[in-house]
Amino acid sequence: MRGRPLLYTTYEADQALLNTTTKKVMLGLLLVVLATIPFQVVPGLDFLGSDDWLRLLSTTAIFVVGALGLNLLTGLAGQVSLGHAFFMGVGAYTAVWLGGPEDGPLLGLGLPIWIWLPAAGIVAALIGVAVGPTAVRVRGLYLAIVTLGLVFIGDYVFRNWDSLSGGAQVGRDFPPLQFRLWKEEEPLIDFTTPGTWFGVEVSGLAKSFFLLIAIAALFTLLAKNLQRTRVGRAFMSIRDRDIAAEIMGVDEFGYKLLAFGISSFFAGISGALLASFVVRVIPERWDLFLSVQFIAIILIGGAGTVTGAILGSAFVVLLPRLVGDFTQWLQSVALGDGFGSAIANVFVATTPNDFGLVNTFAGIGPGLSVAQLNLVIYGLLIIGFLIFEPLGLYGIWLRIRNYWKGWPFTY
Amino acid sequence: MRNKPKWLALFLVLGLVLAACGGGEGGDTTTTAAAEEEATTTAAAEEEPTTTAAAEEEPAEIATDVGVDLEAGTITIGLLSDLSGPFSPLVQIINTGHDLYWASVNEAGGVNGLNVELEVRDTGYVVDTHVQLYEELKSQVVAFGHSTGSPHTVAINSSLQADGILAIPLTWYSGWSDPAINSNLVPHGVPYCIEAMNMIEYLTTQAPEATTIAIASSPGDYGQDSNAGAVMVAEALGLEVVYDGTGTIVATDPATLAEAANGIAGSGAELVWVTTDPTSFGGVYGQALAAGFSGALWSGAGPSWNPALIGPDSPIAEPLANDFYISQYYAPWAADSPGNQMVRDLVEAAGAPPLDYYAEGVIEAKIMHEALLAAYEAGDMTQTGVLNAAKSLESVTFDGLAPDETYVGEANDRLQRLQFISRPDLEGLAGGTSTGATLVESDYTSPTAAAFQFDAACFALEAG
Amino acid sequence: MTIGLVVLAQATADGNAFAQMLVDGISFGAIYALLAMGFVIIFKSTSVINFAHGALTGLGAFLIAAFATVLDFPGRYLTFLPEWAQWTVNVLTALVAAALFGILLERVFLRPMVGEALFAVAIVTLGVDIVVRTITNDWIGTQPRPLGAPWGLEVVDLGWVRIAWSEVIQILVTIILLGAIAFFLRSRTGVAMRATAFDQETARAQGVNVGRIFSVAWAIAAFLAGVAGLFYSIFPRRATGVDQATAFIAFRAFPAVIIGGLDSIPGAVVGGFAVGIAESAANTYLTFEFLGNGFPGIVGYLLMMVVLLIRPYGLLGTPEIRRV
Repeated sequence: MRGRPLLYTTYEADQALLNTTTKKVMLGLLLVVLATIPFQVVPGLDFLGSDDWLRLLSTTAIFVVGALGLNLLTGLAGQVSLGHAFFMGVGAYTAVWLGGPEDGPLLGLGLPIWIWLPAAGIVAALIGVAVGPTAVRVRGLYLAIVTLGLVFIGDYVFRNWDSLSGGAQVGRDFPPLQFRLWKEEEPLIDFTTPGTWFGVEVSGLAKSFFLLIAIAALFTLLAKNLQRTRVGRAFMSIRDRDIAAEIMGVDEFGYKLLAFGISSFFAGISGALLASFVVRVIPERWDLFLSVQFIAIILIGGAGTVTGAILGSAFVVLLPRLVGDFTQWLQSVALGDGFGSAIANVFVATTPNDFGLVNTFAGIGPGLSVAQLNLVIYGLLIIGFLIFEPLGLYGIWLRIRNYWKGWPFTY
Repeated sequence: MRNKPKWLALFLVLGLVLAACGGGEGGDTTTTAAAEEEATTTAAAEEEPTTTAAAEEEPAEIATDVGVDLEAGTITIGLLSDLSGPFSPLVQIINTGHDLYWASVNEAGGVNGLNVELEVRDTGYVVDTHVQLYEELKSQVVAFGHSTGSPHTVAINSSLQADGILAIPLTWYSGWSDPAINSNLVPHGVPYCIEAMNMIEYLTTQAPEATTIAIASSPGDYGQDSNAGAVMVAEALGLEVVYDGTGTIVATDPATLAEAANGIAGSGAELVWVTTDPTSFGGVYGQALAAGFSGALWSGAGPSWNPALIGPDSPIAEPLANDFYISQYYAPWAADSPGNQMVRDLVEAAGAPPLDYYAEGVIEAKIMHEALLAAYEAGDMTQTGVLNAAKSLESVTFDGLAPDETYVGEANDRLQRLQFISRPDLEGLAGGTSTGATLVESDYTSPTAAAFQFDAACFALEAG
Repeated sequence: MTIGLVVLAQATADGNAFAQMLVDGISFGAIYALLAMGFVIIFKSTSVINFAHGALTGLGAFLIAAFATVLDFPGRYLTFLPEWAQWTVNVLTALVAAALFGILLERVFLRPMVGEALFAVAIVTLGVDIVVRTITNDWIGTQPRPLGAPWGLEVVDLGWVRIAWSEVIQILVTIILLGAIAFFLRSRTGVAMRATAFDQETARAQGVNVGRIFSVAWAIAAFLAGVAGLFYSIFPRRATGVDQATAFIAFRAFPAVIIGGLDSIPGAVVGGFAVGIAESAANTYLTFEFLGNGFPGIVGYLLMMVVLLIRPYGLLGTPEIRRV
């Protein structure tokens, strides 16, 4: 049977996560690359090992967890939620209540990470299930606005619950990524300070990078597996036609509630990790824009696919950096001389009254600032993907893959 | 047929973006571009002799690590700016101040022959982005010319200490004067808390019979630090706080403006202290007027004020000009001092509109300039060298633009207590001769502020 | 319950405060009603949930500021008119420009999405919101831009209640616009619009130009959003004019839409006033310490949740009939 793609003789093989050799090789390669990134050994990718790129990649891993959750709810079960940021906030504040310092001025029990991290997910899931009945009662677009309301109500609660959140615009420090057995002074494994692992020097950021990548991988596996179970199929049937699903014996109410719960669980974990990784977070962090970012991740990546959630997270997290680098490059070209400079000058303004698409002159003149350009590109990407490529990055990847599948023949 | 609208979408996108470029007061494209080119060439030409002169006298004994390149002759300074968040209107102007200041320094030969370049990053006033961008810049810059936002600066403070890098906080939080947290920070200007003490006591000199005060603010260190000072001074002067809306005002939430306005109007206070952003201030003031509240003296922390409040089309211009006292960390645009003249010259030469906030950028840049010169003097232009140089600056003077700063000695002695007080200037603003502020007091400090013994921030931000 | 009793006791104790609370609520509710009406008109005719409504509000207010104060166009050529009339003409021109912009947005970004999943279209409007809001903010710039309303600071003081002239005019304008829209929905185009809302394909089969209906709906919505932006940005709301935070007002109007029912124009008006009065009441009476800051801001959303628990399609919305 070797050498014949897509020919499976057992259901197991057909349903396997890595059903082709290419996938196995690719995954292996990816794992090797990820494992070596902090050591800057792969030529061409060594810049990824710098502190700022490690931070970006770690943030991506955290976003992957949250995006997988929203993907289950929106991509798989078809329920549009703008409330993801709220559940992330719930997770973060659960984490800080359980894991925050016991003797500090704010709420905290000083418990270790193996309690606060799962608890962050569980409490978020419970709250998800608790608000579920209201959410499940309303349908479609009403749901989007109900969940929008959750973000605003959550924002009010977080801002005003000073003893938990530290207060509006003030915030508090979140428990660091340190593994303790119980409340001992010295953590067993400290993911925030440099040290030696198996005889190799690793920086604090590299350690947390490994931890977050591992967690993201774990949740990816979880999401991927969930998709091919009875639950995953039930979600999809509700998305495709709820009445038909009900007639087939799928308990619509129950599964919708379950989808809310699982999605909130992922969000809670993601929120706790994000807060812990950033250390200091103000209550305004869990705002509508964060929810929109996650919706964007799902849509840009490709709704309903795990790969899409990962690609989308990377895209959304890295986009600001790439746009910033791009405008800086343009600016350097514009300030140089020659033909390239003349072209670049059309796009960037370098003095207050210069005309240009982007104003790198710190922004009071005409033209968009780099930050505004970032936002505009971001918005246009959301629109563009929905209009031109509804399957998102995953769709593009699919087309590339299918092209090479038959190569050199077109069919 | 089905595809047509999609292409239309692309066209509109292009159109929108082009429109955005023309949206401002874009002048004649070709002339400005040409002028700019000319400016760069002259700058390059002028700068050459100084570089060689510096290279001759200066042996290669200056230690450097990140952000200073003696061979290329550059110093790189980072700015962690909020360019898309709630404070972007102010920070954009401040960054222009930085740009103009360093451009003029570079034109005049740079810092001992080294050209200063800025690496600006937009934090969007989000703490994680702030931390992320700090990580990005720390391997490129010798120091941070500013770091916008208090929780944001607190978030990078431990990294600053670990990496030995200097940052100038772009907030006037009183905690920055606390030696427990400011080992890598050089604050400047009067802190919110002291500012409230100064201004409210000054208001009582204008209305000696006043016995009541109403206070309201935005949440966070800004409003809460300021109102902590207001409560202290009220107690010291025997004023009764008849309404306390500390932390009430949220710019994006219109109901909170109504809440604060009703509270102030209902209290019948004779003095009002509102610490927020200008538009919210306008809303609170306007709604209090609508509720029939008048006759009180109003003031608020520096960032609450914007000349647009008394602009030609502002309905509240007349009453506000009567009621309001402007608190400032530096002298207003039109003030008569060499420092202000320098700012005006820089801004006018660049063709930018007159605004007050350039001064803040110039002040930050000036502190950095002094620190760089001192570091050069000491022969250590590493990140830590610049930090040490800044922390041992005995006096930074701004030629009347702002009160002198010192970074040595006891915290209580270093604490900045001097500030500027102005009155709204309707004619000056309409005539284009001022930014709507006439200086009435410079280097003012009230007895309460002078007597205040500083040992910790008025409002604790370090909780957690 | 006890809170309710306290509030009731307070309300009966001070009749003037109660009247003032109602007037404030109605005047703010009128802004919400204007926003909600535009929102509902778009939903009714195109089945699109328009998250870009905030951007339209900010843009409309900015255009008014630009036409009425910066450009003074076309008022500067109409010197024979009194000043307030010039201003009104400027504002109307700006509103027409806003309406044209609404048509453009629909034509370019939303027309390609006809027939796609409703939620995908809703998310497109989120993208449109980000783009339009960012570019508008760039135009607005660093300082608030005044709109130059001719009523200034004038306030009508009846002794037991005070109301600004601008609020009186705002309520009148809202009532007039409400009437105009009710009238419009009975006109030929209005009937076509309702037919389109009911079933696009059937409407098309009956000779209705569905595309034109979409344009008209967006034009009306952008017009109404502009009017709301105008009254939100002048004395006494935000005396200094339109700034970068103006667009956020639309998020306060969403509960009004849902409370009334997504597809009901009377519902939008009821919802708008309900949210306005609820916020005002919370502002006047719910001043308890434990509620902290900003509680009035979420009263609308809380009210929305309660209404949805009782009536999942809002007070006046049409229940979706699910057929197999």
